[in-house]
Amino acid sequence: MSVLNFIIESILTQAAITIGLIAFVGLLLQRKQFGEVMSGSFKTMLGFMVLSAGSAIIVDSLTYFGEIFTEAFGMQGIVPSIEAINGQAMNNLGLGNQIALTFLAIFIFNIIIARITKWKYIFLTGQAILWMATMTIIFGSAAGFSGITLILFGGLIGGIFAVAMPAIAQPIVRKITGSDDIALGHFCTVGYLFGAGVAKIIGKGSKSIEDIKFPKGLGFLSDTYLSVAFIMVPLYVITAAFAGAEFTSQLSGDVNFIVHAFLQAVQFVVGVYVLLSGVRLLLAEIVPAFRGIALKVVPNAKPALDCPVLFPYAPNAVTAGFVTTTIGTIIAMFILPLFGLAMILPGMLTNFFAGGTAGIFMNAVGGRRGVLIGGIAHGIFITLLPALLVPYFNDLGFINATATDVDTVSAGLLIKWFVEPIMNIFN
Amino acid sequence: MTFFQRKKKKAASPKEEKVVNKEEFLTKIEQAKQELEEADAENKTSYLNKIGSLYLEIEDYDQAITYYEASISEKQVMGKAFADLTKLYNFKRKEASEQNDKEKVQYYLAKSDELIKLTKDTIRGNM
Repeated sequence: MSVLNFIIESILTQAAITIGLIAFVGLLLQRKQFGEVMSGSFKTMLGFMVLSAGSAIIVDSLTYFGEIFTEAFGMQGIVPSIEAINGQAMNNLGLGNQIALTFLAIFIFNIIIARITKWKYIFLTGQAILWMATMTIIFGSAAGFSGITLILFGGLIGGIFAVAMPAIAQPIVRKITGSDDIALGHFCTVGYLFGAGVAKIIGKGSKSIEDIKFPKGLGFLSDTYLSVAFIMVPLYVITAAFAGAEFTSQLSGDVNFIVHAFLQAVQFVVGVYVLLSGVRLLLAEIVPAFRGIALKVVPNAKPALDCPVLFPYAPNAVTAGFVTTTIGTIIAMFILPLFGLAMILPGMLTNFFAGGTAGIFMNAVGGRRGVLIGGIAHGIFITLLPALLVPYFNDLGFINATATDVDTVSAGLLIKWFVEPIMNIFN
Repeated sequence: MTFFQRKKKKAASPKEEKVVNKEEFLTKIEQAKQELEEADAENKTSYLNKIGSLYLEIEDYDQAITYYEASISEKQVMGKAFADLTKLYNFKRKEASEQNDKEKVQYYLAKSDELIKLTKDTIRGNM
């Protein structure tokens, strides 16, 4: 009995081990050879540990940034980074185990819903499912769920989103691709539909943006690390300058305070780099195992793929959507604090992928005028929703960060606004 | 279990007409192949895409994949080759699922992943 207790209380409560076991089961189900099962499980566990290390680097850098930003501008500056939220939830809040199990539960609920309903979408973007698991667990746990009910709750909500989001995007995806074979599996869909809605109203009769030639040179902003550095370095340096040498030198020690700010910004990029390397390791074994199973269990499955799947259909709209969305996020950065909301700094990576994909949606229904106006509206929208989450994240102890990917944000808000009050009645 | 639902589509068009059409397409393919041999480097991808697309029309997915992949390795241009390859990998994956061929399912899923990665890299290069 004491051995069993030891296993349950001391081993299975460790997220790294849980996630390693999930991979172990997945690889066994695929009937892989013993060596592959063992190495795959170990790599997955390693991935979790690398993710945690990345998260610690990000938190250090964000703590510094929070202090200098408040000193410089007298308000809170929030970095939109789902990676930072995931890392803090897994480590600082100790929710790693639940998130790992919910990740698996979302896959299972997705399969069940696709199997028994007419919506045959199987969400194949593993990283997005991890972010969704993170958000449903953070807010599910805050609403009062715990133990197995928390995991089932998170899995159900995530599973519904994994089917519903591709389903609501499909009419426009069908228009873009000209077929019903492929679906979109990217948790920014609410934003795409919002942008497309605005574009449809504004852009009636407007010509396609594909006829316009765009200047080149923006490609570097789609690079994960360069795009983060592009925003973080100037931001840290300018903020440190406003905070002044006297205050900032207390944090920089012997190093010049501006040089220190620069290095801290680079540290943030390093943290994202390490964390995402961990995520890749973590998902490399689990995702192929479970998506193979999903596509077998749901015979007429429509695979919901990551957003670049739409890029070949309207490459100009990708550039235009990125630019107009970025304009929208910059406008929102200055406007939202006037309404008492936090200042959300633009997240260039989200702007690129979500903005680019939104550009394709908006072009399909509203042409170039639709992309211009719809894109700005989209940028404001994807800044507003994360801003609404900030007070809740602050209450839960998160440091200077908010989520991106508006579907995961919407899941968090829905739980906070509708599920938590219901839970409070019963508690 | 509701496997093998794919057959519906084929029954819709009369068989004879399809044979005639197929012959027509095969002639077009042969023509395009000849033109490809004579084509300069500039036009090579457009002929490869044309052949890929003709093979797709007659549902010869393996040949369509071969020509589209050749087009992409020749020159990465955002457009038809990328878009059709995604669909083709999905057709092949679906076929493998129906035949319960796990290795092939993973093979085409991995192909699809690679293509998405290549799409990201290509759009970076084009911007």
